[in-house]
Amino acid sequence: MVVGVALAVLLVLSVTFAITIGPANITPVDVWLSVLHHLGLGPTPLSLLRDGIVWQLRLPRVLTAAAVGAGLAVSGAVMQALTRNPLADPYLLGLSSGASLGAVAVLLLGITVLLPLAAFLGAMLALGLTLLLASSLGRITPSRTVLAGLAVSALASAITSLVIFWTATGDSYREILSWLLGSLAGAQWPEVTIAFAAIVIAGVPIMFSGRILDAFAFGDTSAAALGINVQGTRWSLLAATALLTGAMVSVSGSIGFVGLILPHAVRLLVGPRHRALLPLSAIVGAIFLIWADTAARSLFDPRELPVGIVTAIIGAPMFAFLLTRRRSVS
Amino acid sequence: MTVAATTTGGLDASRVDVRIDGTLIIDGVDCTVAPGTFSALIGPNGAGKSTLLRVIAAVEKPANGDIRFDEHDLFGLHRKQRARVVAFVEQDSSTDLALSVRDVVGLGRIPHQGMFSDASAKDSRVVQAALEDADVASLAGRDFTTLSGGERQRVLLARALAQQPRLLVLDEPSNHLDIAAQLAVLGLLRSLTHTGVTVLAALHDLNLASAYCDHVIVLRKGTVFAAGPTVEIITPQLVREVYGVRATVIEHPQTGRPLVAFGPLAG
Amino acid sequence: MPALPRIPAVRVLVVGILSAMALTGCATTAAPSPTVGAAATSTKALSIDNCGTTVTFPKAAPKRVVTIKSTSTEMLLALGLGNRIVGEAFQDGPVPTQWTTQAAKLPVLSTNVPSQEVTLAAEPDFIYAGWESNFSADGAGTRSELQSLGIPTYVSPSACKEVGYQPTKLTFADVFSEINQVAAIFHVSDQKVLADQRATLESIPKDTRGLTALWFSSGSSTPYVGAGIGAPQLIMNTIGLKNIAASVKDTWTSFNWESVVQDDPDVIVLVDASWSTAAKKISVLEGNPATANLSAVKNHRYLIVPFAASEAGVRTASAAKDLSAQLAKLNFK
Repeated sequence: MVVGVALAVLLVLSVTFAITIGPANITPVDVWLSVLHHLGLGPTPLSLLRDGIVWQLRLPRVLTAAAVGAGLAVSGAVMQALTRNPLADPYLLGLSSGASLGAVAVLLLGITVLLPLAAFLGAMLALGLTLLLASSLGRITPSRTVLAGLAVSALASAITSLVIFWTATGDSYREILSWLLGSLAGAQWPEVTIAFAAIVIAGVPIMFSGRILDAFAFGDTSAAALGINVQGTRWSLLAATALLTGAMVSVSGSIGFVGLILPHAVRLLVGPRHRALLPLSAIVGAIFLIWADTAARSLFDPRELPVGIVTAIIGAPMFAFLLTRRRSVS
Repeated sequence: MTVAATTTGGLDASRVDVRIDGTLIIDGVDCTVAPGTFSALIGPNGAGKSTLLRVIAAVEKPANGDIRFDEHDLFGLHRKQRARVVAFVEQDSSTDLALSVRDVVGLGRIPHQGMFSDASAKDSRVVQAALEDADVASLAGRDFTTLSGGERQRVLLARALAQQPRLLVLDEPSNHLDIAAQLAVLGLLRSLTHTGVTVLAALHDLNLASAYCDHVIVLRKGTVFAAGPTVEIITPQLVREVYGVRATVIEHPQTGRPLVAFGPLAG
Repeated sequence: MPALPRIPAVRVLVVGILSAMALTGCATTAAPSPTVGAAATSTKALSIDNCGTTVTFPKAAPKRVVTIKSTSTEMLLALGLGNRIVGEAFQDGPVPTQWTTQAAKLPVLSTNVPSQEVTLAAEPDFIYAGWESNFSADGAGTRSELQSLGIPTYVSPSACKEVGYQPTKLTFADVFSEINQVAAIFHVSDQKVLADQRATLESIPKDTRGLTALWFSSGSSTPYVGAGIGAPQLIMNTIGLKNIAASVKDTWTSFNWESVVQDDPDVIVLVDASWSTAAKKISVLEGNPATANLSAVKNHRYLIVPFAASEAGVRTASAAKDLSAQLAKLNFK
């Protein structure tokens, strides 16, 4: 509880501090006066343009980062529980690549309205394929699932690349590259809306499934004996994670490792009970991605780094660490 | 065959068939367990004991047949209602999740809780009582994954008790336990019957079954070979026919229950 | 491919280069040059260090040329060598009108980077590309491989990426050096082309209003813009615009909108390509609430340059003149 409150405070501080950071020289006080102005409190001291930097560029971007980080971390925590696989993550199991493919496909067809839906369907399809492939190898084990996810992810990325290769002209590949690497550049209020809508629609029901996920940890029979609809719950929760992942990928491309490493970090803090793990993963995921993206947009100012590179640089060694730790256990 | 009158309720499984990958594992099994009694399911390895228990605990649907308890069709009940009627302790249930023992036992309250409700004071009381009954209260703060096999078995029993079931189904509950713990667990199961709980457990040890159970159901090759009061069923002929082992059954000098002394393998 | 020894950039300079420098008043340390004067008829095989690759030409001038990217095609058209082109690929857009008829006759090998097989099928004795990346195993073939097949290759020196070969800051001397070098490869005179280029440059008035500009090449969420050392910078310098992305030491760079909004450029140069039109760029600028308020966007102060003219080559001077004329028409009250 204490940890939860402390992290929530840290999240608010992160949002407020991150929006004061950027290439433009705007003082933190000015940033805050601008935000308050838009909330209907007092005049803004900033010019129209500089006000736009705060209200149209930084704030939506920081809020999108928070929502995407929260969504991906929760998705990872849920998938780790449902598949009883500490290595599960929307990125490793192919959901992110599937969502990217769905998103790129509708972008090329020009129906951008369907972007989140297509990303969701792509994620769902990829997840189904991964689990099908993993189960066709025999008993579903963590490593088989990761291998199957790798195969599905490679396939989805290959098709995405093919689509790009087929259609890209000039240097328009740059745009689509951000789907593969993940970037929060260009996040505006519509993206904030999509990301937060997904959190409300899929994230909130997930928050109430903590006890059920604890029960899942003992296997399907055990869960069934406790009165849980095993298949129904598993698929609706996986659909919820696919919806979350799809929505997040549709606003940010596929950002890796957030879903993998943050639930593990949170377990170190508060233990494995999902009732605490899920909400805290959301908060820590939000904080993590806010700062990863702040680094991505300010480290090489005025150039931008896709945030997926930052998360991979931090996440891949963590992944390796998790692998070696598993090995020493088994 | 009928062990006891079914009109008073209890467990009544009839004409149960179970197929796994097309193979008939359980073939037309009928069995009944009178309410408030402790019955043992015995039989050699591969007889289908675990499969039958999973069906009776209603975690797996049979291909054919009905499972009724106190006149309710278990598969007709809503899942949560069902989990308040019957609890199941698996033979081997492991996890990677480092929950505390109290949290694990708390999972037994899921059938009694709403989706959005938090654990109530009553839930805490029931959990504490279950911890004490299963003699694991001293482990309440421990990480489940660090426990020994026997300790885990008792914690999972406590979780089943927290469900406050009327029918308790257990698959080899004494498997990992030392002799004192075996006796303690079977004694606990026995005492549960005094509170009206019906208990059905698969047991390997014929002497434990003889010592604690009112009735015995003998399963062989997916069918019921024999069923009835323990003293009538546990006989040298049965042990020989079912297990292929020569045995002498004598009266326990202290309890008067049957005691099986094994001879060499039957020729 | 064996690593080639790095050779200091400046070597023997040629008369043509010296004269170009004298006229434009620029100094260059860039493009390594052939040891032959323009229009010289060499008796020895010509050898050039091009972007770090040593290329050797036979005594006879190339007769069957494949050009990749618009800059190379237009260079040959400008030198009157259009009849030597047996195939063009990856063209960035239409050629200037004076070459339209000639260009229409050129066989198109590929709209994108041509594969090695397609390239070789044209039986070239010389391949001239706009970008180094055009010469790759999954493109027209690696340079060493093509050289071993007896096909010399050449990349516009202003597009070299290696340190020591990439112009530290592109000047018209670099552009003229390429004209001189290509003329030497073909044993033709560069005098007329160079004279035209100089005349064009001299006719461009330098804007003195101290205006700032953004060179918007492509992109929407992350803008890709002309940076401090390439053709966009050279053109903006020439017409008197101050590039807001000049601090980035690169030819082009990915940038961010916040810096653009912070600097609020007076004008925006829009690169017009079929795949990213100027109109689309305007809608990107107007569609983003933060950039919609830029003064250039609100007042429609745009300069438009065709993509094919935005890379260093024979069109750079005329592109500068065209943009200068557009700039002169913009009214700042």
